[in-house]
Amino acid sequence: MRRPLTALLAVLMILLFTVAAYAGLPQDTVQANVNKVLDVLRDPKLKPESAKELKKKKLRAIYEQMFDDVELGKRTLGKNWNSLGVPQRQEFVILFRQVLEKAYIDKILAYTNEKIVYERETMVSGTQAEIQTKVVMAAKEIPITYKVILKDGSWKVYDVVVENVSLVLNYRTQFSDILAKNKPEQLLEILRKKVKGQ
Amino acid sequence: MKSHIAAVALCLALAAGCAHEPVVSDQTPSAAPKAEHTPAPAPAVAAKTAGGNLDDYQDIEDPDQGKEEEKVIIADPLEPFNRAMFQFNDKLYFWVIKPVAQGYSKAVPEKARVSVSNFYANLSFPIRFVNSLLQANFEGAASELGRFIINTVWGIGGLLDPAASKEIDLKKKQPADFGQTLGIYGVGQGFYIHWPIFGPSSPRDTVGMVGDIFLYPSIYLGPWEVWAGSRVFEKVNDASLHIGDYESLKEAAIDPYVAVRDVYVQYRLKKIQHKDGPPPPVGSGLLEDK
Repeated sequence: MRRPLTALLAVLMILLFTVAAYAGLPQDTVQANVNKVLDVLRDPKLKPESAKELKKKKLRAIYEQMFDDVELGKRTLGKNWNSLGVPQRQEFVILFRQVLEKAYIDKILAYTNEKIVYERETMVSGTQAEIQTKVVMAAKEIPITYKVILKDGSWKVYDVVVENVSLVLNYRTQFSDILAKNKPEQLLEILRKKVKGQ
Repeated sequence: MKSHIAAVALCLALAAGCAHEPVVSDQTPSAAPKAEHTPAPAPAVAAKTAGGNLDDYQDIEDPDQGKEEEKVIIADPLEPFNRAMFQFNDKLYFWVIKPVAQGYSKAVPEKARVSVSNFYANLSFPIRFVNSLLQANFEGAASELGRFIINTVWGIGGLLDPAASKEIDLKKKQPADFGQTLGIYGVGQGFYIHWPIFGPSSPRDTVGMVGDIFLYPSIYLGPWEVWAGSRVFEKVNDASLHIGDYESLKEAAIDPYVAVRDVYVQYRLKKIQHKDGPPPPVGSGLLEDK
C-alpha cells in the first residue's frame, strides 16, 4: 500500500514542482535534436542522391520536434501578427516554414562533418533559455545561438542567431517593411511566390 | 551586352523612385484560385493545424514588448538612392567581383588565400589596437599587441597565425573599429547609407571608416594607387573565401535590400553592445570594411 502511494507522490512532485527539470535541460534537448540531424546527415545509407527526398523527410520530422513553428511565426510578425486573420496566421506559419526550408535545406544537406561545440547555456527566465554553440570549420568558426522556450513540457527553438544576426529579427524587419505598405494578403502572396520559386 | 542595358535601365528605374516599391504584384485576374497557390503542406503540419491547436493562433501581446525591435530599426530617408546603390553593388558582385574571385581561387589554393587573409588582418593591427585603447579595453589592446608581435615575427610577417595556436592561445582578435568606438562613446548610428562599392554604412560608420583608413599602414607607403590596389586585392581574396555567403543571404531573403540592411544594423549593434567579444565578420557588404 505504501509503495504505490510514494510513487504517486513522487510523480505529483515532479509534475507540480519541477516542470523545468521534467522537461530536461534546454541544452540537452537542443543537443539531442542536433545530434538526430547529424545522424541523418551522416547516415551512409542516405548518402546517394536518390535518397535526398527521404533525407529531407526525416529532417522535417526532426524540425517538427525541435522548433515551435507558431512561436517562430508570432515573433517574426511581432505586433503585425494581430493584423492577420486567424486563417491567414495559419497559412503564414506554414508558408514561412516552407520559405525557411527552401532557404536553408541545401546548406544543411551540404554539411560535411564540421565539429559542433556547445559553449554555454544561459537561462533568460524560467521558461526561456539561450544555447550558444559554434560550428568549427577549416577556415572559420560560425557562432550559432539557439533561443528556446518551454512549451507543453519541452524546450522548443523559436529563434536561431547565426553570426550575431537573429533570423527572427531579420525576417521581422522585412515583413514589417512589406506590411507598412501592403495588406497581409499581399505578404502571403509574396511568400507563396517565394515558396514556388519565382 | 544586353544585360548591361538591362542593368542600366534597372538602375534608372530604381533611381527614378520606384525603388521603394517592394516586389508586389497584385493578384492577376488570371491567377489560379488561392487553394492552388498554397503548396500542399507537409502532412504533419496539416494534422497539427487541423488538430484543434487553434489556441496557438490567437492574438498576442508583443512577446518582447518591442524592446528588441526598436533597437534594430534604422531610419532610411535615402531609401530610393540606397536601393539603387544596392542594385549597383549586387551587379558589381555578380559581374565583376565574383568571377574574378572564382578565377583567383582556382589559381591559388585555399591555404594560401587564408594566409593572404591573415597577412592583411595582421596589417590592420593598428586599427584594432588603437580602437581597443580608445574603448578602454586594455586587455584587448594587450592581446592585439601580443598577436601582432608573435604573428609578425614567428608568423612570417603575418602570413600565419601562430598566436591563435593552442600553446599561445591569443585567439581573440579584437574586432575593434572607429565606428564602433564612436558608438560606444554614445554617437548614434543616424540613418542608413548604402555606399556604392563599400556597401552598408551610416554617417557614424562612414566617419569611422575614414578614420580607420589613417590607421592602415599601406596608406603611408606610396601613392594612393598602391593603397587602392592593395585594398582591391584584399577584397578579392576575402571574396574568394566567402563565395556563396552573399548568394545565400539574398536567396533566403524576401526583400534582399531590407535583409542586408537589417544584417548590418544587427551586426553593428552587437558589436557595440559586446565590445569585448569578437563577433566574426559578416559577408554581407561587398567591400564592407572590417
